[in-house]
Amino acid sequence: MTAVFSDINVRKDAEKHLAQMEGRYRGLLEAAPDAMVVVNQGGEIVLLNLQAEKQFGYQRDELVGQKVKNIIPEGFAERLIADGTRTAAEALAQQIGTGIELNGRRKDGSDFPIEIMLSPLESAEGILVTAAIRDISVRKEAEKHLAQMEGRYRGLLEAAPDAMVVVNQVGEIVLLNVQAEKQFGYRRDELVGQKVKNIIPEGFAERLIADALRSAEDALAQQIGTGIELNGRRKNGSDFPIEIMLSPLESAEGILVTAAIRDITTRKKAEAHLLQKVEELNRSNEELGQFAYIASHDLQEPLRMVASYTQLLSKRYKGKLDSDADEFIAFAVDGASRMQRLIHDLLAYSRAGTSGKDLLDTSSEEALQEALINLRGAIAESGALVTHDPLPAVLADEMQLIQLFQNLVGNAIKYQSPGVPRVHISAARNGARKWIFSVQDNGLGIDSQYFEKIFGVFQRLHKREEFAGTGIGLAICKKIVERHGGSISVESQPGQGSTFRFVLAGSERKS
Amino acid sequence: MPKEVLLVEDSPGDVRLTQEAFRDANSSIHLHVASDGVEAMAFLRHEAAHVRAPRPDLILLDLNLPKMDGREVLARIKRDDSLKTIPTVILTTSEAEVDIVKSYQLQANCYLSKPAQLDAFESLVKSINDFWLTKVKLPQQRQSG
Repeated sequence: MTAVFSDINVRKDAEKHLAQMEGRYRGLLEAAPDAMVVVNQGGEIVLLNLQAEKQFGYQRDELVGQKVKNIIPEGFAERLIADGTRTAAEALAQQIGTGIELNGRRKDGSDFPIEIMLSPLESAEGILVTAAIRDISVRKEAEKHLAQMEGRYRGLLEAAPDAMVVVNQVGEIVLLNVQAEKQFGYRRDELVGQKVKNIIPEGFAERLIADALRSAEDALAQQIGTGIELNGRRKNGSDFPIEIMLSPLESAEGILVTAAIRDITTRKKAEAHLLQKVEELNRSNEELGQFAYIASHDLQEPLRMVASYTQLLSKRYKGKLDSDADEFIAFAVDGASRMQRLIHDLLAYSRAGTSGKDLLDTSSEEALQEALINLRGAIAESGALVTHDPLPAVLADEMQLIQLFQNLVGNAIKYQSPGVPRVHISAARNGARKWIFSVQDNGLGIDSQYFEKIFGVFQRLHKREEFAGTGIGLAICKKIVERHGGSISVESQPGQGSTFRFVLAGSERKS
Repeated sequence: MPKEVLLVEDSPGDVRLTQEAFRDANSSIHLHVASDGVEAMAFLRHEAAHVRAPRPDLILLDLNLPKMDGREVLARIKRDDSLKTIPTVILTTSEAEVDIVKSYQLQANCYLSKPAQLDAFESLVKSINDFWLTKVKLPQQRQSG
């Protein structure tokens, strides 16, 4: 009896102990943040916690004693079986601490991604397996999203027409696209992790370092959208001109710099070509100006001979030969004289474009006064009345401004109908910095069809017998005004007089 | 005593024109012609064919000449003690400021540019005759070269 009692006592003690242990174990089980399922070697669920009930949507008693396959259809039970061929302890030990990603199945039949961690648990019923099961739907979703984003970003990167290189703050290449491989002649794996200095020797890495002294965002923001011209270096050592555009890129590794790199060899060549053409054009313009000057200067020499000797012929032999000879000599004398005037005027026209002085603050009123002094003979002879309003200071070459007034006022007096010639000069503001000058006369006037033509070289509207002159005066006016950055035009009607208008920039001084 | 004038001029047309103009102005002068700078210096120094050349009362000197140009001729005349007292008048087509300045720096006695018209040229030659060959007092004692 005693023995029986004691047996009973021992058993009671053991049961009590077991209940205690189980209570503790259960407490641990329920406190775990993950779903916990304990499975025996036969794949049957022995124990589970509240989280497991919730996650799989079963009541506890619906699962205990059931096959674990019901809630984890694949990958778990097989593992237990496979492990059965080794010693269970070995097989499990292998898996301890390594999460296995599987799918869980809820009571309603829906699947969800889980990560399970296995650990062996020795018990009276042999080795059990405790599975900590974590629902990783959220993480999976995030990972999927991230992969998508990365895929899109890479897609963008690869689709970019330029070479794209992503560099970290210490100047190492983090990422690049296929264009970058092509442009620099490297394979991707030869560049990733390398210094960007290898492919852009100067100006880029320095910029990153310099930027480090400021806030990175500030520095980069400054550079966004502004192309920097640098040199790229290919794997074969050859350099080529590039333009890079930087933009900051926030990442888990801190701020990265995305550089869009464009090979501008073609553009550079085109620019150089254009520059060369401009130089050539300037040179040829200059030569043309020189040519006109030299030609007209050198033409004067032989022409002086022709003019002088035909004049000598006329002087010595007029009336001593027959009347034909007198007439022929007269034509020769006249032709030579006209040609001398033409060359003289051509020279003046050529000088108007090539030998101008700098544009300085000039009193246009004083320039007009000077022109009127030069014209005093013509003014006195014609009895013209020349009046003017107060005139402003302008930005001009004074000698050319005098010439301009002289030609315009001179024309106004010259092309007159009977009566007293009247000429009035005025100026009106045109915007903040410009003046429109008007030279108005009461002369013959001009038909509108000639408004353009009269500003051409050697263009005349009258017979030589009516009005002398080569027809260069207005062409010189036009050249002078254009050299000053202005324009000249005429408004007129036959018999109603003419008004010539030209625009000049005002003086930069306050007047 | 007729005046001796040396015209240094390479253009035959200008030589003849000057001769004609002087004939009208003063038919008594002796106009000698050198057609380049080297010949002008030979004339002045009585060298070679010019052993019997007279010392001119006036030199009319063109600037642009073959072999030795007018500026060099002028410089040599004005460096030469025996020649520097001879009035040397520049008579040229150039109206360039640089030529005018250079000529006066080299002690040219005056600078004239050839007019384009015959009338004006004739009147200029007349002025030269009236002034340099008539009114101007020159040293009497001629130093021998």
